[in-house]
Amino acid sequence: MPADPLDALRLPTVPIEPRSEFADGLLRQMQSVDAPPRRTTPTIRYFVTDLDEAVQFYQQQLGFELELQPNPVFAMLYRGDLRLLLSVPGAHQGGHTLSDGSVPAPGGWNRILIQVENLDATLEALHRAGVHFLDEQPSGVTVRQVLLADPSGNPIELFEPARGYHERTR
Amino acid sequence: MRDEPAPSDPVVAIYATALPRVYGYLLPRCGSTSLAEDLTSETFLAAVKASRQGNLTEVSVAWLVGVARHKLVDHWRGQEREQRSLAATEPLVDNIEDPWPEWLDSEAAYAALARLPVPQRAALTLRYLDGLPVAEVADHLGRSVHATETLLVRSKAALRREYGEESRHAR
Repeated sequence: MPADPLDALRLPTVPIEPRSEFADGLLRQMQSVDAPPRRTTPTIRYFVTDLDEAVQFYQQQLGFELELQPNPVFAMLYRGDLRLLLSVPGAHQGGHTLSDGSVPAPGGWNRILIQVENLDATLEALHRAGVHFLDEQPSGVTVRQVLLADPSGNPIELFEPARGYHERTR
Repeated sequence: MRDEPAPSDPVVAIYATALPRVYGYLLPRCGSTSLAEDLTSETFLAAVKASRQGNLTEVSVAWLVGVARHKLVDHWRGQEREQRSLAATEPLVDNIEDPWPEWLDSEAAYAALARLPVPQRAALTLRYLDGLPVAEVADHLGRSVHATETLLVRSKAALRREYGEESRHAR
C-alpha cells in the first residue's frame, strides 16, 4: 500500500505555555474545587433475643445482606443504603446495661419502614413463609402499609406509595 | 467531622508540567486562543473533580492529553449539532480527486483544514494530526467504522480542493 500523503500532517504535541494570567486563574479554580460531602450510612440498631434466628429472618424474608457476624451477640446487615445492627441485650457494647440498671429489650413501637414495589405480592410471600403480622389488612393514606414483627417481636413496617405520596423535594 | 484542606491533589501536583502539554495539544487543533483556553480549563477542572471524588487511579500527562482530546471532540460534536442544517446542504464531492503533490506544504494544508466543515475537520485531525487508527476515530466521533471511512474519503477530497485554493492564493 502506498504511503498516505496526509501522514505528513502528523502533529506531535509541542508544549506551549499559555498566558500566565490564564494559567494562574485556572490553578486557583482547581484549588477551589471542593471534595464532595462525605457520604454517611443511615444506621439503626434492633435488639434481638436469638441472633441467628434474626439474621436468617432479615436475610430470607426482607432481602438484607449479612455483612458481619463477628460473635454470637452482634451482626451487621445491609439493605441498599440502610445498615441494620442486631444486638443481643446486655451482652455487648451497644446492648449493654445502662448505669441505672436498665437493660435494652426488643419490641416497642418505633420501627424501620421498608418501601416495596408490590405490597400484595410481598405480603403473600411473607404469609407463605409464616411471618408474624401485627395487623392483617393494608391501611393508610398516601401509602398502603402493614406491620409485621421479626422473631424477637421488633415491629417492621412495609409500605407501598399510593395517591398523594410525598417524595423528598430536596 | 473532619474538614481539613484537601491533601495535595494529584492533578494539581502535575499541573505545571501538564498545562503546556495540554494547551500545546489543543491550540494548533483549535485555531483560536480563546477556544484552546476554554477547553484547557474544562480538561483540568473535569480531572480535578474526578480526582476529588476518588474516581482516578492514575493521573499522568498522557491521560490529561487524552481528556483534552475528548473535550475537543465534544466541542466539535456540539458545533456539528448546531450546524447540521448547513452540513446537509453541502454539495456532494465528485469522485475525481487531484493527486497530492510530492511535497506537501503542511502550513497550507493546516490552513485549508481549518476552513473545512466540522465533521471533516474532526475526522482528519484525529486521523492525521493525532495519528489515530480509523477504529479509534470512529469511537471518538460516535460513527461506525464504515461511515468513518466514507467520511475520511470525502474529507480528504474536500481538503485537496481547499489546499489547491490555498496554494493558488499563496502563489
